[in-house]
Amino acid sequence: MMHLLLRITRFIEDSTMILLVSIMILVAGMQIILRNLFDTGFGWSDPLLRIMVLWVGLVGAMAATRERRHITVDILSRFLPARGKMVSGIIADTASAVVCGLLAWHSAHFVLEEYQGGAAAFDAVPAWACEVIMPIGFAVMALRFFLSMIDRITHPRQAEQSA
Amino acid sequence: MIITLLLVVLALLGAPLFVVIAALAMIGFHSQDIDLSAVSIEFYRLAEMPILLAIPLFTFAGYVLSESGAPHRLVRVTQALFGWMPGGLAIVSLVACAIFTSFTGASGVTIVALGALLYPALRQAGYHERFSLGLITTSGSLGLLFAPSLPLILYGVMVQQLGVGRPITIDELFLAGVLPGLLMVVLLSSWGIWSHRKVTLQRFSWREVRDATWEAKWEMPLPVIVLGGIYSGYFAVSEAAAVTVLYVLLTSVLLYREIPLRRLPKIMHESMMMVGAILLILGMSLASTNYLIDTEVPNKLFEVIRANISDKLTFLILLNIFLLILGTMLDIFSALVIMIPLLLPIAVGYGIDPLHLGIIFLANMEIGYFTPPVGMNLFISSYRFNKPVMELYLTTIPFFLLMLLSVLIITYWPALTLWLPSLHR
Repeated sequence: MMHLLLRITRFIEDSTMILLVSIMILVAGMQIILRNLFDTGFGWSDPLLRIMVLWVGLVGAMAATRERRHITVDILSRFLPARGKMVSGIIADTASAVVCGLLAWHSAHFVLEEYQGGAAAFDAVPAWACEVIMPIGFAVMALRFFLSMIDRITHPRQAEQSA
Repeated sequence: MIITLLLVVLALLGAPLFVVIAALAMIGFHSQDIDLSAVSIEFYRLAEMPILLAIPLFTFAGYVLSESGAPHRLVRVTQALFGWMPGGLAIVSLVACAIFTSFTGASGVTIVALGALLYPALRQAGYHERFSLGLITTSGSLGLLFAPSLPLILYGVMVQQLGVGRPITIDELFLAGVLPGLLMVVLLSSWGIWSHRKVTLQRFSWREVRDATWEAKWEMPLPVIVLGGIYSGYFAVSEAAAVTVLYVLLTSVLLYREIPLRRLPKIMHESMMMVGAILLILGMSLASTNYLIDTEVPNKLFEVIRANISDKLTFLILLNIFLLILGTMLDIFSALVIMIPLLLPIAVGYGIDPLHLGIIFLANMEIGYFTPPVGMNLFISSYRFNKPVMELYLTTIPFFLLMLLSVLIITYWPALTLWLPSLHR
């Protein structure tokens, strides 16, 4: 069950990312052609691109969490023995899950307030719809850090190799 | 104080840096009785900076380039042009790596994509193994000072967000990096020429120049269009990034047919993981920086330092030592977002131009890429060429000394950095 759920989120995440990057390239390209050849442009393309940067960033970060590719300082753990690495990994993952959980909770709070306020980001697009990726993204990351922590405890060897 | 210490330990244990910065911001806001959704509000500012569009676009373009045949063609053209000179192939390597790194943002792909071509070529041409390995390992970060490198853009974004000192533009920053970057390339090239003055040379051939250029005909205009567009002010940085992506896709997918369409999703995935990692740290640092400014930490720090160091020169010496040590421990993006909010107000207090600080900072970080214990280039080289990290470290020592010399010249001769931007104004 959990496995299926993870595969579904993974599929949604990967397709969203590809869609976002493709649209981003197309809109940014179109904007330049319109500006230079026809001296015109669409008012929505600038705010759309800016919001897409946020979305791409968070979706990319979700994927980076899945593959343990976040930027870390990692001076100490490199030199720890296997058992020490496992312990440090568990501590780091737990802390990360808690922090991401808090971020998700407070982002959700922020988005809810914006929803009730009813402000628009641009044209007819409501602000909350642009911001909603924040609680989703941090919640997925919190879940992934939690699962990674469980994985380190139940499969110490495997987790070591994949890290 | 105890909390800060705990957070440092957490970072050392391997928690992602964005988690540590986010925790710092949350603790900060909490201690001031500010609702924690303030962190989300600050993070959302990522969607309010048009310049940031350049980050995903340039990163994607860089990843596509490194998977195409562009590295091969770049080496061939530079070899045809410089191969006949004494130390020519060393110059080829340095120039090719610098150009490539400025477009790929020193993410380590330079060593993987170019090193694999250059190392056998260097060895075949009679360059010592130690020299060749040292050169490739060092070159992996060369070019960070040239437009459109991501760290340069990120520094500009940080300074604009902080609003301390003279306001600077990314364009100015791109101009500021040109001469210091060239200084590094020239110094390292001179060493290549001097140390291999007896190596037999390849004959110069107009035919090879013509053939190599013809083979690279579709890519040759790219640096001209992008750099010309940015420096002439015709393109904004994010527009230049969009042009780069479209151009790179056109050449590598349609004209050279080296990257099949079905490969693009994989490249998008790889590159966006890196983008996500960078943007997340940047977004969290927007929140923590705001807290830092509110509590006047940088100002207090400046007062303490000011009370002990009276002149600019001593400060610059200490700054260099500090940054060199920092560069051995932190990667460039983390170092930027953590240190710039603290360093910029202090440096401005000593009358250092923000452009100059940026170039000093990045130049020091370039060295950090190949110094132990965590120099990323050492590990990538070690992996790629199957050599122990310590051995590689020893091969980079002459290059380290030359880079150190360039850093010192850059630091104590501000005009080198500031002259070109001053013409622009």
